[in-house]
Amino acid sequence: MAKGGGLFNLSKFDVVVVGAGPSGSTAAYLLAKAGFKVLLLERGRGAGSKLLWGGKAYAEPLRKVWPELDKEAPIHRWVTKERISIVWGERALTLEYKLGRKVAFTSPLPELAGWMAKKAESAGALLLDEVPVDEIVVKEGRAVGVRSGNDFVSADVVIDAEGANRILLEKLGLADRPSPYDMALGVKEVLSLDPRLIEERFGLERDEGLSWLILGDITAGIPGGGFVYTMRETIGIGLVLNIGHAAVAAEKGILRDHVSRLVEGLRTHPYFRNYWREADVIEYGGRMTIEGGLRFVPKRLYSNGLLVVGDAAGMLVNTGYTIRGVDTAVTSARLAAEAIIEARDRGGFTEENLRAYEEKVRESYIYRDLVEHSGIAEIFDDPFFFSKVPSLATRAASKLFEADYGEPSLLEAIKRSAEEEEISLLRLMLKVGRVVRRI
Amino acid sequence: MRIVVGVKWVPNTQAVRIDPETGTLIRKGVPSIVNPHDLPAVEAALRLRERVGGEVIVVSMAPPPAVKGLELVLGMGADRAVLVTDRVFAGADTWATSYVLSRAIQKISAEIGRVDLVLFGHETIDSSTSHVQAQVASWLDWPYVYYVSSIEPLGDNAVRVERELEEYEEEYVVELPAVVSIAIKAMKPRPVSLQSKLRAKLERRIITWTNADLKLDPRCVGLKGSPTVVAKTVDMPEVPRKKEVYRPRDPKDAARWIIRKMVEDEKLREVMKGIVGDEL
Amino acid sequence: MSQAPSRLKVMKLEELLRRDVWDVDEERHIEVLKQEGLPLKALQLLCPMGCYSMAGERLLMSYEGCVECGTCRVLSKPEQIRWEFPRSGRGIQYRYT
Ligand SMILES: Cc1cc2nc3c(=O)[nH]c(=O)nc-3n(C[C@H](O)[C@H](O)[C@H](O)COP(=O)(O)OP(=O)(O)OC[C@H]3O[C@@H](n4cnc5c(N)ncnc54)[C@H](O)[C@@H]3O)c2cc1C
Ligand SMILES: Cc1cc2nc3c(=O)[nH]c(=O)nc-3n(C[C@H](O)[C@H](O)[C@H](O)COP(=O)(O)OP(=O)(O)OC[C@H]3O[C@@H](n4cnc5c(N)ncnc54)[C@H](O)[C@@H]3O)c2cc1C
Ligand code: SF4
Repeated sequence: MAKGGGLFNLSKFDVVVVGAGPSGSTAAYLLAKAGFKVLLLERGRGAGSKLLWGGKAYAEPLRKVWPELDKEAPIHRWVTKERISIVWGERALTLEYKLGRKVAFTSPLPELAGWMAKKAESAGALLLDEVPVDEIVVKEGRAVGVRSGNDFVSADVVIDAEGANRILLEKLGLADRPSPYDMALGVKEVLSLDPRLIEERFGLERDEGLSWLILGDITAGIPGGGFVYTMRETIGIGLVLNIGHAAVAAEKGILRDHVSRLVEGLRTHPYFRNYWREADVIEYGGRMTIEGGLRFVPKRLYSNGLLVVGDAAGMLVNTGYTIRGVDTAVTSARLAAEAIIEARDRGGFTEENLRAYEEKVRESYIYRDLVEHSGIAEIFDDPFFFSKVPSLATRAASKLFEADYGEPSLLEAIKRSAEEEEISLLRLMLKVGRVVRRI
Repeated sequence: MRIVVGVKWVPNTQAVRIDPETGTLIRKGVPSIVNPHDLPAVEAALRLRERVGGEVIVVSMAPPPAVKGLELVLGMGADRAVLVTDRVFAGADTWATSYVLSRAIQKISAEIGRVDLVLFGHETIDSSTSHVQAQVASWLDWPYVYYVSSIEPLGDNAVRVERELEEYEEEYVVELPAVVSIAIKAMKPRPVSLQSKLRAKLERRIITWTNADLKLDPRCVGLKGSPTVVAKTVDMPEVPRKKEVYRPRDPKDAARWIIRKMVEDEKLREVMKGIVGDEL
Repeated sequence: MSQAPSRLKVMKLEELLRRDVWDVDEERHIEVLKQEGLPLKALQLLCPMGCYSMAGERLLMSYEGCVECGTCRVLSKPEQIRWEFPRSGRGIQYRYT
């Protein structure tokens, strides 16, 4: 379908999608391909201009929508190395895992989301950017379109893909303003570095990338963690901090520095800085993400004429050590598109016919992971995990590797360290056990 | 009334940084924007159209990515946009820019319909010469009024314009066709609206003209047609701020503190002397 | 400790902000309506762009550097802060994030 003039009636569409992020563009793409007249509305200048993430997407769920992904998408590097570090002061304990297959890739989100929106446009969806939606209009219990300023466009189905800052859903009364404890703030720097240096320093081949997660005192004791992702010629580094805990720490005077100072602490940290010592900081920013797990999922993902997808629907798996939001956003949008296509074939977009979407989500891996990791949120609510465990782990490692203690066994080292940190070994085992089981 | 508005596609100067090592401007990755001072001119045109009817046509001489900026202006409600773009137009100074723009305006008059009024912004954020408008008026041989804060239609053949200057206001009645430039911040530009954006996108309201359409002598356009010579550029080093905060008891106390600071500072003392003389 | 290269010196927030691109709206999209009850320290330290600061007793909000992340929104109630998106695609223009 071409996006030329006559095909569209000015203000009537089959589907209006709010938000050209990964979920919105996926839904628009699949529905336009299935012959729907789709309007995709984005508040930013160009899709992706408001987006910031860590940097790693799982490929398989995206290939289900775009089999051409590996060839066409702006894939910067295929992740072949996963690292996890626990850092305390100048000490660090690091675990590295080498992957083989093309499981996950890195890419800047403005670029990746831009590509997805292009796909939607080339399938025939009409993308309008620079247009914030102010309201999803509901009449007689049914979503009938959207309003922006004084303008209204009507649609048979509205898809809410507005992301985690879900102003529209709150206005509709379908979600409450979230608790700060259910949200996390990501603060990130983009460093530019010669690709050859990136490859040399991290031991990578040309298209290979590294994903690195960091726990420890880099977050100043606030529940959260750090990340490093290598892109083609940039490195993204940053921190994710639980907003509720961070706010309490700030009010109590435990957190004294501005969050940018914490990210700078990571960039200039003696354990990390030499990987990128020549790098220039070319961008800095922040964006909010979800930490509440199932608590953030609205009671219903559908109603008469309305479906909620992606972050707005809480379709994000935050395992505490990694955030999966893009593949789950794409998958939830795919399921929504399937449900809409089926509803059309069954004669209408009634609540009854759209319910299939929620059922599909419940049967999918997203829901399974959400349930499985919902306990993680609870554990991470406990600052103990973030203040004591990392210091203990690095202390134990120091006893193993720093010679003045002789050569204790690993257990001995952990026990001794626990005594020094005044932590009951039992409490520690319980905590760590719970986390490991869930991860 | 058919109103043409000239808008320039400029680098977002807020974001242009100087490389600390080489001292050159870093423009890579800096997206361009519509010159912010041109948006009040667009707003003025839209308000006039709302009162007397007619058509607002936006013109820009710029490389093809400027389509993004024209979409924004169409999203505000302009009826069509003409992108004047050609490799031979590149590197133009104000002379060559105004020449091409004036020819594009004549072509609009000839092919789309008589142009009654041409509006411009006051200046650009990347060069700010304020020359282009006067030069366009000269090429067209139309009257020109600048730094205008409001325009009222007066029948079909004239407008009444107001200029707010520092100490007084002026009012002129200008016969059409004419060129008018709108003062910075004279009017608050309206935001992009869904319907206008939709209309612009569906009806493909951007026309592109190259030199194949304008048929101008290549020696009179672009770099070749630009007599301006840049003799020298000087980097103005950033002056570190002192960041002193003083909490005065009252305005007198504040004034005393400021004067004391100015007298104590060697450089400022020189400046002050220039103003108040040696009594300082 | 060894001498760190100049690029590894800790950068101030102002320096970091110079790395970013905004198309700043003339219209303010975030506004403090009622300061009472707001977590003042949290807003100052957590707004990643440092949009919140104190002028004496008063909380100042400079919307120009905002990246529309929503953090101050979840730290407040609707009657304390008016929070909207900038219009016309204005505001932060992320490129490599
Ligand atoms: C710091 C951080 C790190 C992350 N790291 C990863 C990672 O490594 N891997 C991963 O898979 N996920 C990661 N995520 C999560 C991932 O970015 C999100 O889950 C994903 O972007 C969600 O996609 P979405 O389309 O549902 O919402 P979004 O990506 O938020 O898109 C919503 C879109 O809607 C637009 N919009 C919002 N409101 C309106 C409105 N009213 N009118 C018009 N348009 C509107 C927005 O501008 C935006 O373009 C991270 C997130 C953060 C914050
Ligand atoms: C000292 C100096 C040397 C320069 N040397 C060079 C050079 O060597 N090479 C080079 O490429 N450039 C050069 N320039 C820049 C070039 O002269 C200007 O960019 C260009 O002519 C427009 O002038 P301006 O930006 O000052 O516009 P102004 O005269 O300030 O603009 C006034 C109004 O005219 C309109 N307008 C301006 N330009 C356009 C346009 N392109 N399309 C539509 N409407 C427009 C807008 O409404 C604007 O508000 C130089 C500028 C200066 C000050
Ligand atoms: S939305 Fe984010 S960036 Fe903007 S003022 Fe609030 S906290 Fe700061």
